[in-house]
Amino acid sequence: MRRSLYLYYRLISQQLRAILEYQTDFVILMGSAVLTQLLGIVFLRVIFQRIPDINGWGFWEVAFMYAMIYVTEGIGSLLFEGTWRLGGLINRGELDKLLLRPVSPILQVLSSAVGVNGIGNIVTGSIIIWQALAHMDVSWTWDKIGITVIVLLSAVVIRIAINLASNCVNFWLHGTGNAFPQMVLNVGDFAKYPITIYPSFVRVLVAGFVPFAFISYYPAAAITGANDLAWVWALCPVVAVISACAAIGIFRIGLRSYESAGN
Amino acid sequence: MQPRAFVSLMNRAMQNTFAYRTSYIITLLTYFISILSLYALWTAIFDGRDQVAGMSWNQMKSYLLITFMTNSLLSWYSETRIATKILDGSVAVDLLKPLDFQKARLAETLGSCAVEGGLGLLFIAVISAFASDIITPHSPFAWLLFALGLAGSLAVKFGIVYLAGLLCFWSTGSHGIIWSRIAITNLLSGGLIPLAFFPDWLAQWASVLPFQGIVHTPATLFLDQVGTSEAIKLIAVQWGWAIALWWAGKGLWQWAVRKITIHGG
Repeated sequence: MRRSLYLYYRLISQQLRAILEYQTDFVILMGSAVLTQLLGIVFLRVIFQRIPDINGWGFWEVAFMYAMIYVTEGIGSLLFEGTWRLGGLINRGELDKLLLRPVSPILQVLSSAVGVNGIGNIVTGSIIIWQALAHMDVSWTWDKIGITVIVLLSAVVIRIAINLASNCVNFWLHGTGNAFPQMVLNVGDFAKYPITIYPSFVRVLVAGFVPFAFISYYPAAAITGANDLAWVWALCPVVAVISACAAIGIFRIGLRSYESAGN
Repeated sequence: MQPRAFVSLMNRAMQNTFAYRTSYIITLLTYFISILSLYALWTAIFDGRDQVAGMSWNQMKSYLLITFMTNSLLSWYSETRIATKILDGSVAVDLLKPLDFQKARLAETLGSCAVEGGLGLLFIAVISAFASDIITPHSPFAWLLFALGLAGSLAVKFGIVYLAGLLCFWSTGSHGIIWSRIAITNLLSGGLIPLAFFPDWLAQWASVLPFQGIVHTPATLFLDQVGTSEAIKLIAVQWGWAIALWWAGKGLWQWAVRKITIHGG
């Protein structure tokens, strides 16, 4: 485990060094992430200027859900962008190289790229989450702080697991690029708002099949205790563990049907 | 450029879009997801309210439909095509061809639009069949105005996308530029929220920028929210922007092409 962490650290810092060579790009990517998120918040503000709440959720609660989607996406980009390169690695047969090394292939895939736009997302999103937590109607006790930390960490694990699992589709479906995982990513758009506004099939989708609701809505509900959902914090780490195991399982099954490519 | 070359480029782009149909259909589903989540959001917002910012729920539903339509007209694929040409250096081959770069790209965009827009329309027809009380233009003349506005929307969007694509001459990646363009366009065109909802300062910004021509103008025309003279003025402003952006694109190209660097060979 310690060796894995060390290797991961070395691999990812190499990627980071490589990307910093292109400074214009670095700045543009970070700027675009910040801009996208801020304009999203402007959108929410404009809505909440017209109406006081959406299904009982105020501006800061929705801003929290919104920012949770972006922060976890940012962590996924910055530290685990490699999941998005899986399709390319498979199509070009480059996974061969990874399989020959005496290091876990999942670790190598995860650390095969860095997305600097993640920094923009993490910084902006964290500031919004911080502000939201400060403005939400919560009485802060030690228990509450513990619960908050647990649900936030679970959210990150769930997001990485979703990214890895959805990109594994490339083991079976060739040549569609990143269109499918991109679509799964967009299912996350549902979870930017309280899931109570959706018809039941969407709720089942984001709470059960692709657990985006455990990244945004349920953490918000666990922290505020709204809709009698304070207990749901205990479910978050369980979902995180299940998602992670499922993603690793799918990756292993996919690896078995990997046939390399080219001549 | 000869019309024949223009048509053949269009044709090729159409075939290309058909060849990559799976990814386009997935892209369309992606738009559908975002429009579905917006639909649910607006349902919740209008819950228990007759009107918000002077719009009724029926008007809002039609508005969302127009948003979906204008989004599906010019897809991610058309957008990245220009950037990719510049970044991978294949623009060098284009420089050798006796074709105007901008017109050639317009031809390709129109070609993919014919396919993508057709699929988008099919989607909309299916949705409208299920959704009742969608407000539509009341007269053939209003339909004509809307058609002009929709064509103008495409012209403005092409102008903006082309300019954003050319910016790739100064960068080494396209994602940051395209993401920024999408974020700005979505908000200021009215793609996320009708301009009527905007606070004054933001509405003023939106009204002096070209983005409103993409969603706000066709949607206003579709909903018959303004009289004839006002409608013609909206279309004139929109096409004015389309022409200005076209010339800006020409200028930027001439400037950019001088500092082109292509690696390898």
